[in-house]
Amino acid sequence: MSERLTNEAIVDTALQALRDMAMPLGEVFLREAQSGSVEIKDGAIESVIARGERGVGIRVIDEQRLGFAYTSDLSADGIRGCADTARRMSAVTERDIDLVLATRPLDDADLDIYQAGIVDRALGERGAVALAVEEAARATDARVTQFRKTTYSDSESTTMIATTGGVRGSFRESYCGAMTSAVATENGDRQIGYHGEAGRRFAELEPRRIGERAARRAAEKLGAKPLATQKLPVVLDPWMAMDLLRAIGPLFSADNVLKGRSLFANKVGQRVANERITVIDDARGEGVATTTRVLIEGGTLRGYLTSLKTARKLGLDATGNARRGGYGSPARVGTSNLFIDAGVDDTEAAVRGLDRALAVTSLLNLHTIDPVSGEFSLGATGNYLERGERIHPVQGITIAGNLTDLLNAVVGVGSDLVFGPGGLGSPTIVISELSIGGA
Amino acid sequence: MVHARGARRSPSSAISRTIGFLLGSGGPHIAITLTRQPSVSARDAQHALRTALSRGGDWAELYWERHETLQLVLDDGRIEDAISGVDQGAGIRVTKGERTTYANSNVADVDDLIALAGRAARGVAEGGELHETSDPAPDELARPSTVAIDPRDVAVERKVGLLRRANEVARALDPRVQQVTATYAESVQDVLVANSDGLHRADTRVRLNVAVHVVAKQADVLESGFEALRGTAGFEMLTDEAVEQAARDAARRAILNVGAQPAPAGTYTVVLSSEAGGTLIHESVGHGLEADLNLKGLSVYSGRIGQKVASELITVIDDGTDPNKRGTAAMDDEGTPTQRTVLIEKGILRTYLSDRKHAEKLGIKRSGNARRESFRYLPICRMTNTMIARGTSDPEKILRSVKDGVFVKKMGGGQVDVVSGNFAFEITECYRIRDGKLAEPLRGATLVGQGPKLMSEIDMVGTDLGYSTGTCGKDGQGAPVADAQPTLRIPAVVVGGKLK
Repeated sequence: MSERLTNEAIVDTALQALRDMAMPLGEVFLREAQSGSVEIKDGAIESVIARGERGVGIRVIDEQRLGFAYTSDLSADGIRGCADTARRMSAVTERDIDLVLATRPLDDADLDIYQAGIVDRALGERGAVALAVEEAARATDARVTQFRKTTYSDSESTTMIATTGGVRGSFRESYCGAMTSAVATENGDRQIGYHGEAGRRFAELEPRRIGERAARRAAEKLGAKPLATQKLPVVLDPWMAMDLLRAIGPLFSADNVLKGRSLFANKVGQRVANERITVIDDARGEGVATTTRVLIEGGTLRGYLTSLKTARKLGLDATGNARRGGYGSPARVGTSNLFIDAGVDDTEAAVRGLDRALAVTSLLNLHTIDPVSGEFSLGATGNYLERGERIHPVQGITIAGNLTDLLNAVVGVGSDLVFGPGGLGSPTIVISELSIGGA
Repeated sequence: MVHARGARRSPSSAISRTIGFLLGSGGPHIAITLTRQPSVSARDAQHALRTALSRGGDWAELYWERHETLQLVLDDGRIEDAISGVDQGAGIRVTKGERTTYANSNVADVDDLIALAGRAARGVAEGGELHETSDPAPDELARPSTVAIDPRDVAVERKVGLLRRANEVARALDPRVQQVTATYAESVQDVLVANSDGLHRADTRVRLNVAVHVVAKQADVLESGFEALRGTAGFEMLTDEAVEQAARDAARRAILNVGAQPAPAGTYTVVLSSEAGGTLIHESVGHGLEADLNLKGLSVYSGRIGQKVASELITVIDDGTDPNKRGTAAMDDEGTPTQRTVLIEKGILRTYLSDRKHAEKLGIKRSGNARRESFRYLPICRMTNTMIARGTSDPEKILRSVKDGVFVKKMGGGQVDVVSGNFAFEITECYRIRDGKLAEPLRGATLVGQGPKLMSEIDMVGTDLGYSTGTCGKDGQGAPVADAQPTLRIPAVVVGGKLK
């Protein structure tokens, strides 16, 4: 078998290749991951996937020009070829005096995001999570009899970053998650309800909660009717609010601010949201107070998310928000754990005080929200409420508005902060009014 | 969901196979080398498949892939990113009874491949009999797409030049243009599929994508405009004229939108221009015709083959052989040749989009619609190039027939809940219709409806046909697709906008 280099040796080989070509600034990013998933059907395991991946991405800055290349060919020749391609790519891009690589040594903070052996659990144990999700869904509502897809998945990865300047660090992380799309049927009407959750440790998953929530989501849509076109107050539960918060994330990106693509440009210190709204990005996971970054505080914009380059351009400290999807992806400014902080409002009481309202239960076309204009117009299902009482479920409608108007129109923020998968969190939010398109 | 793009080309690329192409109609018959890296020989593939079945199993398949990419990004007037890379790996699938085991990883050589096959075998319950595999029968498939100029042979300066031209053209159009992002993405995917039935087939998919995103500003309003040129084709598709037109369209759309009225909310008569592209057919019908969903009986179209599911004006076709379109390939990702499949014929449901497993279980013909994002995934049933066929109405007359309504000139992304059939899609260029003529532009609109209901209500179908392209997401996997439709009239549909 061909010689398999260790991760350390791969990084060393790449750094040596960069030095050999006299590259003053170079960086090696390595990721190795094992992941798997188990899908069930009719009470038995239907498919099992085991994935392995390992590759490197090499970034060089030559005469202040950036080049990037990646490869899964981790032979010594493959690594050297990748370094050479990165150098050739740098000849294509243009000079940017603010380009820089990390220079500060990394601390060894325990991020508490890794559980060893999560992918090595017995198949039966992993499949059992998915089976428990379906069982809980069926038990929650007798009208739930089928599932579009139910899976358990997990992953374990090692990430290493090293620069020719001597900065070197690595971290390991683990994930596991389960999701289901439950289908409820009644009188010829069929509705689907999705719910998924993820954690860093196996014990963090609560299959019953996942199944129950998906079942309720499906069952509550049965018998849905159209609704007349009108303006209505809107209630977003934490999961629906997270869906919209994801679209707000790019507005905080320093890269978008610098390039005139963010409605938050030049607004630091100004009111951009209702005073109830505080938005935080916490790069170190929940609960480490020293590294939380407050983006909106009591409705006032406090700052942006930056990478090394964009921080220099704005004359700010880097917030450590350069994110990569994998060894083949370049670093881009992104959120880590973005959440709306818990409020103090009794949102249930607030909704009881409204003559009429719409509680949103699912949103379609979230990926089409344009963060540049902030405009959104989405397909939706919901529950039509009168003084907090559910009158009937609704489908075939749209809700529309602008993300910045939405932040200003918040009239209630609950204390029920929930963190979901995908690094997002929110409590229940009540919006004074949105346009509903319908019959 | 789209894999990161970039591309490294090894200086020592081995020429393993030469594929002949017939260039266009009446064009010169030229040979061009697309597959430049050694892939997997029939002998090694059989070795891997035997290893995969060594601990039991009914059927095994090897999917091998090498994916080279190059991505160039011009942003804020400067070439900011130049990314090149290669990802190579394989997946081994073993089925036993109702259970599928799939092991996949990056592989460098045959030793890695056999080790992977061993992992797949260990994942299958022991006790089965060793399956004797038949002799491999490598064969050549017809290549629906022509590649006259391999993009890997084009100097990077030429590609950069296209992006600079797009930037200049977009900025020159109007002073309200505030930002331009132009992206060039090149993808060369070599695929090999071999299975224990003796199939051994390869395909090389050369895909190009030039996208222009423009931001316009007027007072406090920011709006985007977008246009892309995408196809399974050689570099010849990226002419200066085509790139300049895309840049102009993106800039024109951004400028139109900053000055547009917010779209109204409510139920309207809508004319969808053929230029709008086919997001409608993709979301409202296409996903509901995927066989996996129908086997579970979960689609609004389940169990309805032979029944009327749309107006007789509606014929729906999926065509993976449509030359040079974004969803085109010689074979699907299980090695089944792609084909033209009539899904709905004059309103009658004829068949579903299938892979091997679901075609067998549903007793329908394999349609060559098993696709996967990469070797990291199992294939799933999905669309290639999907269209509503041309009708008989003059598109001009369709517009003139509407007294008060909404004209959709360009669609963006969409999504469907296949179980209820409820769909939504974004509109990126749109006008009010007054007295049969285009009136003021509108922005921020979405159309929502229910697939079968909408398809039974369409009452005029034009003689024209327009395409759009996109990346379809399903079960966490992205796939390049194209969609097309003639001009259509929908008597009443919900338009989502803002109320004053």
